[in-house]
Amino acid sequence: MMQRKAASAEPAYGDVNPGSSDPQQLYRTIDWLLIPLLFMVVQAAFHIHAMLTVGDWDFWTDWKDRRWWLVVTPVSLITFPAAIQYVLWEKFRLPIGATVCVTALLLGQWVSRTLNFYGWAYFPLNFVWPATLIPGAILLDCVLILTRSYLLTGIFGGMLWGVIFYFANWPMLAAFHLPMNHNGVLLSLADLQGFEYIRTGTPEYIRIIERGTLRTFGKDVTPVSAFFSGFVCVLMYFVWHLMGRLLSTVRFIQKI
Amino acid sequence: MAMAAKVLTIDRRPARSAGGINYRLLAGAMLTLSVIFVSIRLYQQFFAWTVGLDSTSPEFQTHWMRLLYGEFFVEGVAAAAIWGWLWKTRDLNLAALEPSEEIKRYLRLIGWLLMYVFAVYWTEFFAEQDATWHQTVVRDTEFTPSHIPLFFGAMPVFIIMGVSSYLYARTRIPQFARAHSVPFLIAVAGPFMMLPNVGFNEWGHTFWIMEEIFSAPLHAGFVVFAWAALCLGGILMQAIPRIIELAQGEAQRAVRPVTG
Repeated sequence: MMQRKAASAEPAYGDVNPGSSDPQQLYRTIDWLLIPLLFMVVQAAFHIHAMLTVGDWDFWTDWKDRRWWLVVTPVSLITFPAAIQYVLWEKFRLPIGATVCVTALLLGQWVSRTLNFYGWAYFPLNFVWPATLIPGAILLDCVLILTRSYLLTGIFGGMLWGVIFYFANWPMLAAFHLPMNHNGVLLSLADLQGFEYIRTGTPEYIRIIERGTLRTFGKDVTPVSAFFSGFVCVLMYFVWHLMGRLLSTVRFIQKI
Repeated sequence: MAMAAKVLTIDRRPARSAGGINYRLLAGAMLTLSVIFVSIRLYQQFFAWTVGLDSTSPEFQTHWMRLLYGEFFVEGVAAAAIWGWLWKTRDLNLAALEPSEEIKRYLRLIGWLLMYVFAVYWTEFFAEQDATWHQTVVRDTEFTPSHIPLFFGAMPVFIIMGVSSYLYARTRIPQFARAHSVPFLIAVAGPFMMLPNVGFNEWGHTFWIMEEIFSAPLHAGFVVFAWAALCLGGILMQAIPRIIELAQGEAQRAVRPVTG
C-alpha cells in the first residue's frame, strides 16, 4: 500500500499518459510530432531551393527541353536527397531519404501549381505541371539499401538519378513535343502554349533551351545530355553528402 | 489512497495539460495561421488583378498598402508579446528541474519547432506564387500583391516563430541554456537572414530590371539560407538522446521499490 501510494504520489514522468511508466508511449508521441515536422521542413526548404535554381525549367512546358532542363534539374535536385539520405540512414537506418525529399517537393509543387499558377494566374495545368523525380529517388534509395555504401550510392545511384530523369518524365512530356503547323510555322505544342501564354520568360532570346554546342554524338541530343547529367549528379551527391554531415552537427558553443 | 497526479508549471499553477504538450493550443495556433494565410490568399484572388496592378493608384493604397501597414503592426505586437512573455516567464532555477518536467519541455519545444516549420511552409507557398505574378505583371515597386504576403507576411511570421522556439529552449531547457546550440543557431539565423536578403533582392531587381528568369543568380541568397533549415536535423540529434536518457531514468525510477 505504501508502495502504491508512493508510486502514485508523483507523476511517473507522466506526460502523455499520467501514471504510465512506459517510455514507448513517449517515443510514439514524439514520432507523431516529428514526422510532420520533418516532412514540412524538408518540403519547405527543398521547394525554395528547387524553385529558385530550376524553377523556370520546371514551371513551363516550353522550357522542358533536351539540353538544359534534363541537366539542370537532376543536378540541382540531388542536393537535398543526398543530405537527407545521410541523416536518415546514418542516424535512423531509414533508407527513404531521397523518396521523402522528392515526395515532399512534389506535394508542395502541385499545391502551388494548382492554387497559384492555375487558381490565381490562370495558366492551364497542362502547361505548368512539375517534373517527377520519384523514379530516380526510388533508384537512389534502392542502391543505398542494397549496397549499404555511400560511395556506391553516389556513383551508381547518382548516375541513375541523372540518366533516368528525362525518360521518367517522357510519358508526360511526349504529347507536348508533337509537331504542329501553326499558320505555316512548324513548332511543338509546348512552343505554341508558350506563345499563347505570354510571360517574361517567353521570348526566344530569353528562354534558356536547346542552346549550346556539341549537342549530339551524331544523332540524338537527349542521351548526351542525360549521361552528362548523370556524371555531374555523381559529383553533386558527394558534395551534398558532406553538406548533410556538416549541417547535422551537434556542436555547442559558449559565446556568439 | 490514490492521488491524482498533479503537474505544476514553472509558476506553480496546475498545468492545463498533464500530457506535456497542449495539443489544443498547438492545433489552434496552426489553425489560426492557416486561417490568416488562406484569407490573404483569397484577398489576393479578389483584389490583385483588379486594384493591384498600379501602385500609384489610390485603390492600391487603400487595398494593399493598408494591408502592409496592418501586417507591420500585428507582427510587431506579436513579436513583442510572445518574446516578452517567453523572457518574463523564464525558469530561473533550471538546476532544480525535475526530469519529468524536462521531458515535457522537450515536447513543447517540438511543438514550437512545428509552428516554426509550418510558418516556413506558408513562405514556400507564397514564394512560388511570386513567380506567377512577376513573370506576368513584372513590377513597379517593391510592394506588390505577391510581395506583401510573402516578404512582409509569411517571412516575419516564421522569424517570430523561429526566435520564439530558440528563446523557449534557452530559457527552459538546461541542455540549451548551458550553451548555444550551433544547429539551432543556424536553423533560426539562416532563414532569418532571408529578410535582409529581400532588401538586396529588390535592389538587384531595380538595378538590373530582370524579371524574366526566376532561377537567376540574384536569388541565390534565398537558396543558401533555405539550406540552413537542414540544421533542424542537428537539433533533433541533440535533443533525442537526452529525451531517451531522461525517459529511461524515469522508467527505472517508476519501477524502483520504495524502501522505508
